[in-house]
Amino acid sequence: MMPAVIVPAPDALPLPAPVFLLQILLHLTFLLHLVAMNAMLGGLILTFYARLKGGDPSAPWTKLADTLSKVTPSLVAATVTLGVAPLLFLQTIYGQFFFTSSILMGWGWFSVVVVLIFAYYGTYLQSFKGRALGGSRTPLLGVTLLLFLWIGFMFSNNTSLMLNVKEWAAMYFASPKGLHLNLGDAQLAPRYMHMVLGSVAVAGLMLAWWGRARVRAADPSGEFMVTVGMNAFTWLTLVNILIGLWYYVAQPAHVRKLFMGGDITATALFGVGFVLGIVMVVAGFRGSKHGSRIELWPLTMLTLIQLVTMIMMRDTVRNGTLGADFRPATFEVQPQVLNLVIFAVMLVGGLVLLFWMLRQFYVAWNR
Amino acid sequence: MNYPVWELPMGGGVLIAVVSILHVFVSHFAIGGGLWLVVTEMRANRNRDLDLRAFVKRHSRFFLLLTLVFGAISGVGIWTTIGLVSPHGTSALIHGYVWGWAMEWVFFFIEIAAAIVYYYGWDKLNTNVHEAIGWIYFGAAFISLVIINGIITFMLTPGGWLENQNFWTGFFNPTYWPSLVIRTFAGTAIAGMFTLLTAANLARGNFRGRVTRWNAGWAFFSMLGVIGGAFWYKSAIGVWDANEALLGAIPVLPVVAGYFKIGLIITTALAVIPLLVPKLWNKGLVAVLLIVGLMTMGAGEWLREAGRKPFVINGYMYSTGMLVSDTARVEDAGMAASARWISPEAATSEVRLGHDLYLAYCQVCHTMDGYNGLRPFLAQWDEETVASLVPLTGHMRALMPPWYGTEEENAALTAYLMTEKPPEPGLWPADPVAAEQLAWDISCGLCHTVSGFRPLIDSFAGQSPEEIDGFLDESGDIVDEMPAYFGTAEQRAALVRFLHKMNPPEGAGDQAAARPGGNEGRDS
Repeated sequence: MMPAVIVPAPDALPLPAPVFLLQILLHLTFLLHLVAMNAMLGGLILTFYARLKGGDPSAPWTKLADTLSKVTPSLVAATVTLGVAPLLFLQTIYGQFFFTSSILMGWGWFSVVVVLIFAYYGTYLQSFKGRALGGSRTPLLGVTLLLFLWIGFMFSNNTSLMLNVKEWAAMYFASPKGLHLNLGDAQLAPRYMHMVLGSVAVAGLMLAWWGRARVRAADPSGEFMVTVGMNAFTWLTLVNILIGLWYYVAQPAHVRKLFMGGDITATALFGVGFVLGIVMVVAGFRGSKHGSRIELWPLTMLTLIQLVTMIMMRDTVRNGTLGADFRPATFEVQPQVLNLVIFAVMLVGGLVLLFWMLRQFYVAWNR
Repeated sequence: MNYPVWELPMGGGVLIAVVSILHVFVSHFAIGGGLWLVVTEMRANRNRDLDLRAFVKRHSRFFLLLTLVFGAISGVGIWTTIGLVSPHGTSALIHGYVWGWAMEWVFFFIEIAAAIVYYYGWDKLNTNVHEAIGWIYFGAAFISLVIINGIITFMLTPGGWLENQNFWTGFFNPTYWPSLVIRTFAGTAIAGMFTLLTAANLARGNFRGRVTRWNAGWAFFSMLGVIGGAFWYKSAIGVWDANEALLGAIPVLPVVAGYFKIGLIITTALAVIPLLVPKLWNKGLVAVLLIVGLMTMGAGEWLREAGRKPFVINGYMYSTGMLVSDTARVEDAGMAASARWISPEAATSEVRLGHDLYLAYCQVCHTMDGYNGLRPFLAQWDEETVASLVPLTGHMRALMPPWYGTEEENAALTAYLMTEKPPEPGLWPADPVAAEQLAWDISCGLCHTVSGFRPLIDSFAGQSPEEIDGFLDESGDIVDEMPAYFGTAEQRAALVRFLHKMNPPEGAGDQAAARPGGNEGRDS
């Protein structure tokens, strides 16, 4: 007996803002989260790689790993903090899907919390204890990295399982113990790999910025950082174009069609994303020849546009896959205008405060 | 109902409790500890007290590692866990309070950034700026509490929100202010406790004594504030009938309330020691203080959570996700038709239907062997008994949501529950007192208490055991909600003894007098 497709009803309470506004906030905060996550996870992968290349304490790889290890904990903080907002807006708009997939993978989803606590402490261990860890430093870093990769894998599972509506009922009726994952879904592997490799590429670009700033401050170790960063950026972006195509092929037919003329915006996004990818790789190779004199602004702008393109494509995949199961037009909306204004004022004030604090810190640190 | 249910052997409530009690303790420390850091730093700076300044710096590292990592992540953890266990409630809280959460997120963000700048800014930022960052940290942390407190108290005492569904009506609800007072002082009290821990690691001497007394002051005087707030809270909570609940309508409540009161007293008393005699203070006592403090906080949160039964948002949504406004529709349609996740197999299998109904309507609060376990009851009941009790679950004490099963659904749930009955007949206690208590728990005690909620203490005054026994024959004829007595001969004899001893004739036997609360303590 084939169980029917079961989709929970949207919440009975009205939405406190129009769906489009919540969507914008979702994408905007997700972009911020993505940048922080890329710096953190990509940086951690680069740290581990550098640690494996290793050498004595004065070797450039070791110094690079030492430098990166110092900042990882704060990047974890930024990733988590910036992740809360998109998760909130996701649950507001897509709660009927997201809560269901989370419950189906209950233990896996819950594990994120426990694993994150250990992984986060793992980064502090590298930062605060450092050399005192001796021979266990690199293995411990490896474990920490694996924990973060696990968390990312659970996120990929959940965000893809929430779209895999037709499998839910069969999964749940087979077992309600919360032990499912979305492993049977062809798009899981490319989706996850696309995210992880992309994170290293973006972290590489950031490393190049950092290295260039060091060179300009007459610190020769920056040259090496630029080289490593640009290599990571260029090569992994190249590989990621292929993974991206695999991700496309793994989509259900009706979603693929959207990107191939079925929907003009989707098709344009796909075209832009593909071309941008190639331009980034070419520009990356050409720029790398200039060492620390590389022009980073154009590459950075390209990357930012690419990130926005990817987020919008991801959204197209989400809404395209859900199709008729997701009908935001039918959601009842009762805007809480005053609260929205209060939030906006607080956000602006908060950003000013944040900017002031970081400036004070930056000035003091460089004194 | 609307969502699938995660079948957890230990029960979802226990998982939420574990995550949230640990989080709440650390997150309150994150608030009060922030105030301690900046106030103590300023004191050290003003007095040019380099030892004290070094102590603050040292403590700030511990503070950073505990609050930024465990505190922040376990907070996200509560959100994750309630979303898994109580998706309906979580979704409602998010829909009604998106902008509240979004505002809270802004301050969460500032708080985390300020904590990092504060810690890494030691000896780099100039003193005034460093102190300013400390105040920004505390301000942001405190405003987070100001916001979250509105949403948490709303769940227990939504007040006028039930009529107008207005954000601010629900936010500034009847228990908002007293709760804020309790939580603020709890934060500074916990700050005192944790800094006493850091102080206990110092070498013995004058400085240690001085710091210990300063920290103990935070703990002790804050505890007085917590106690004051608790009295205010108690008087403000009229929205749910605290008296009825505390009388045992919700069985666990009087016991937890007792733990909470005793915990407050012990914590306060312990905090006096380092205040008066800092020399006596040591790591062992710190450990005791922290553990008692944690348990007290846990009891307070448990009290608030348990007091909400059978609702997740009082008066609006039941724990099962059923809306109060939806009950008439559910009564019409039946329980299976109102639940989305009933397997196709249930159309042909009675046990499967019962299992799916159990998941949809019972699992959120019950387990078989653990928290609110059903198997100990099933072990003592036969099928006829279970069948007679299933339709009446909505009447048991005041803590279960209404049950509108059709005859077919009642039979299905009964059939499923019987598959969970242990194969061996339930062991009957050899100890007569234990047997009497159990006989009460599995029958009258399901709906009544001895002297609290729906009390029976006067009902059998002056009756002989034979008269009580005779009454049990007629018990099914009194009101619709009361079934005929269903126990075995052994259970019946023990119950008669229990009911007889409950209200002994003048001057006879002290045994019943020593059992004032009956089974109010059993969370069943």
